[in-house]
Amino acid sequence: MDVLQSLAAGFVEVFVPANFVALTVGLLLGLLVAVLPGLTLVMGVVLALPFTYSMDITAAIILLTAMYVAGTYAGAWTSILFHVPGEPIDVPMLWDGYAMARKGEAAKALGWTLVSALIGGLAAATVMVLLAHPVARIALSFSTPEYFAIIFFGLATVVSLGGGSLSNALISLFLGLLIATVGVDDTYGAQRFTFGVPILSDGIDYLVVMVGAFGLGEVFMRMEQRFRSAPLQSIDTVTTRLPTLREAAAVKSTFARGTALGILIGLVPGAGATVASFLSYGIEAQYGRRRKEMGSGIAEGIVAPQTAATSSVGGAMIPLITMGIPGSGATAIILGAFLLHGLQPGPQVFETSSHIVYAVFASLFVGVIGMCLIGYFAARYLVRILELPEVIVSAYVVMCCILGAFAARNNITDVWLIVVFGVVGYACERLRFPVAPMVLGVILGPLAETNFMTTMISFNNDWTTFFTRPISGTIMALALASLAYPVAQHLRRRAAGAAR
Amino acid sequence: MRSILLRALPYLLVGAFSVYLYTVAGRIEYHHRAGTLGPDFWPKLVLAVTIAVCLYETLRILLSRGRRSGASGVLQNIVERSEAEHGAGYLHVEARSPLLLAAGIALTAAYVWVIQHLGFFLATAPYVAVFIALGGYRRWALNAATSVLGTLAMMFFFMKVVYVSLPLGREPFAQVTLALMRLMGIR
Repeated sequence: MDVLQSLAAGFVEVFVPANFVALTVGLLLGLLVAVLPGLTLVMGVVLALPFTYSMDITAAIILLTAMYVAGTYAGAWTSILFHVPGEPIDVPMLWDGYAMARKGEAAKALGWTLVSALIGGLAAATVMVLLAHPVARIALSFSTPEYFAIIFFGLATVVSLGGGSLSNALISLFLGLLIATVGVDDTYGAQRFTFGVPILSDGIDYLVVMVGAFGLGEVFMRMEQRFRSAPLQSIDTVTTRLPTLREAAAVKSTFARGTALGILIGLVPGAGATVASFLSYGIEAQYGRRRKEMGSGIAEGIVAPQTAATSSVGGAMIPLITMGIPGSGATAIILGAFLLHGLQPGPQVFETSSHIVYAVFASLFVGVIGMCLIGYFAARYLVRILELPEVIVSAYVVMCCILGAFAARNNITDVWLIVVFGVVGYACERLRFPVAPMVLGVILGPLAETNFMTTMISFNNDWTTFFTRPISGTIMALALASLAYPVAQHLRRRAAGAAR
Repeated sequence: MRSILLRALPYLLVGAFSVYLYTVAGRIEYHHRAGTLGPDFWPKLVLAVTIAVCLYETLRILLSRGRRSGASGVLQNIVERSEAEHGAGYLHVEARSPLLLAAGIALTAAYVWVIQHLGFFLATAPYVAVFIALGGYRRWALNAATSVLGTLAMMFFFMKVVYVSLPLGREPFAQVTLALMRLMGIR
C-alpha cells in the first residue's frame, strides 16, 4: 500500500511542469541520439550530463533516465528502414526487422518494435517498483563481503557476456581497475601512480574516462572512417502499423521470455541493453517455436531483442537505486548525476529521499508510454535527423565532451585527460579491446577495493570469508561460473573441431 | 612471423607497462600497520593478473602461430552464429584514413591548448569550422554559419541557462568573450 501511495505521489511529481519538460526533452534527445549511428545512447547520456548541473535533482535524473529508455527504442527504426543500426543494441533488428521491411512490411515491423518496447518497458518498470524496496531491505543486511561479491559478479559478467576475446576484455577491465587506483588512497592516504602531478592526487574521475573513451574515442573512430555512412533510401514513407491483438497473442511467450531476460540481464551489474538484446535474439533462435524461420522477417525476431533491450532499463535501475551499483554505462552516468546533486543511492535512499526515487520510478512508466506515442506519431520526422551531415554532429559532440569535462571541476587538466582517454578509447576499439569493461572497472574499482580491503581488515585477512558466507559465497560461485562458461564452451568447440 | 609478432605486440606492450607499474607500486610510501594489507596490495594484485593474462595471450599466439583464436564472450558467439546465418550486421569498413585521424587528434589537442588563451568563442568557432572541413564537408557558407551560430548558441545555453562558466581567455582576447557575453545578456 505504501508503495502504491508513494508511486502515486511520484506520478504527481512527474507532472510538475519542470519535471515534465525534462522528461519530454529527455525522450526526444534519447530518440534522436538512438537514430544517429555515430552517437550511442551512453554517449548521449554522457553529453547530456553537464546540461543537468544547474537542474533540480529530480528533473536531472528524470531527463537522463528518459534518454536512457528512449535510447533503447529508436535505433530500431533505422535498422528496419535503412539497414543502419542506430545503436549496437539494434544489430539483431537487422536480421528480422530489415527482412520484414524488404518484404514490404516496414510499417508492420515498426509496429512490432513499438509494442515490444511498450510491453517490455512497462513490465520492467512494474517489476522495478515491486522489487526495489524489498531488495533495499535485504541490502541493508549486507556487509562488505556481500558488496564485494556483487561487484565482482558485475565485473565478471561484463567480461564473460561481452563480445570479442575474453583475454582482451579482462585486460581492458584490469586497465580500468588500475586507472581507478590513481590518486590518494582512502585508507592510508598514500599517493598511488600520481607521478608528482598534483591534479592526479584527486584521482581520475570516471566521468572523464567515460566522456573520453565513449565520446571522443567514437568520434576519432568515425573520423578515421571519414564519417562514411551507408547511403539512405527515401525517408518519405515512414508509417507505423500496430499488430492486431490476435497477432500479438500469438507471440506472447516471446514477449514474456524477452521481458524476463531483459530484466534479469539489467539486474546484473555490468551487463546492459546490448547484451540483453543479443542474448534474447540468440535464445529465440535456439529455442523459439519458429526458430527455423528466424532471419526471414518474422515478428519473433523483432519482439525478442526489443522487449529485452527496453526491459533491461527497469532491471538496471534496481541495483543502482538500492545498492548504488550501476548496472550499465548509462546507469553509471545517472549515478554520477545523483552524486553531483549530493544524493548517494543505496539502501537508505528509501528512508531519506523516497519522493525522488518514486518520481524517477513513475517517470519510467510515463516515459515508456511517451516514447511510444512520440514514436507512433513522429518517427517520420525524427529520422530526418539522418539527413544532417555526421561530421557536423561529431564536431558538436567533441565540443560537448570538452565542455562537459571542463564544467565538472573547472579544470583544464580534466579536458586534457579526456583527450588522452579519447585516444585510449580509439586504440582499444581499433585493437579489439572492448571499452565497456575498462569504463566499468573505473566506476566499480574504488567500490571493489574499499569493500575488499575493509573485509580483509574485519576478517583478519582471511580471503575465504568471501566464499564461506552464504550470500557472498553463492554470488562468488556464480561469478566464477560465468567466467568459466565461455572458457568451457571454447574448449568444447576446440575438442569438437579436433574430433572432426 | 612478422604478422604473428604484430598480433602479440599489444600484449607485450601492455605486459611490459604492467611490469613497470608493478615496480612503481612497490615503491608506494605509507606507514605500515602490522597485520594489514597496504595500499599497494590492490594495484599489485590487479597488475599481477594483467601480466599473467598478457603472458598467456603472447604464448598462445606464438605457440599456435597466430592461427588459433582464444576464448570469447557469450555475445561474440551469438553474433558469429547469427551473422553466419543471416549476414553481417555491422557495416564493414573498407577504407581508413590514419592521416585524417592524426589531424583530428592534433586539432582537438590544439583546441584544448588554445581555448585557455583565446577563450571559448574565439577558439571554438574556428575549431568547429576546421573540424567540419577536415571531415570532408565542402559547403563553406553553411560550415561558417554552423560554426559561428552553433558556438554562440552553445555559449548562450551553457552560460545563461545552465550557469556553467566557460573559459574567458587571456587579455586582450578576454575582451571579445566579455563583449559577446554583454551582447547576449550574460552576467
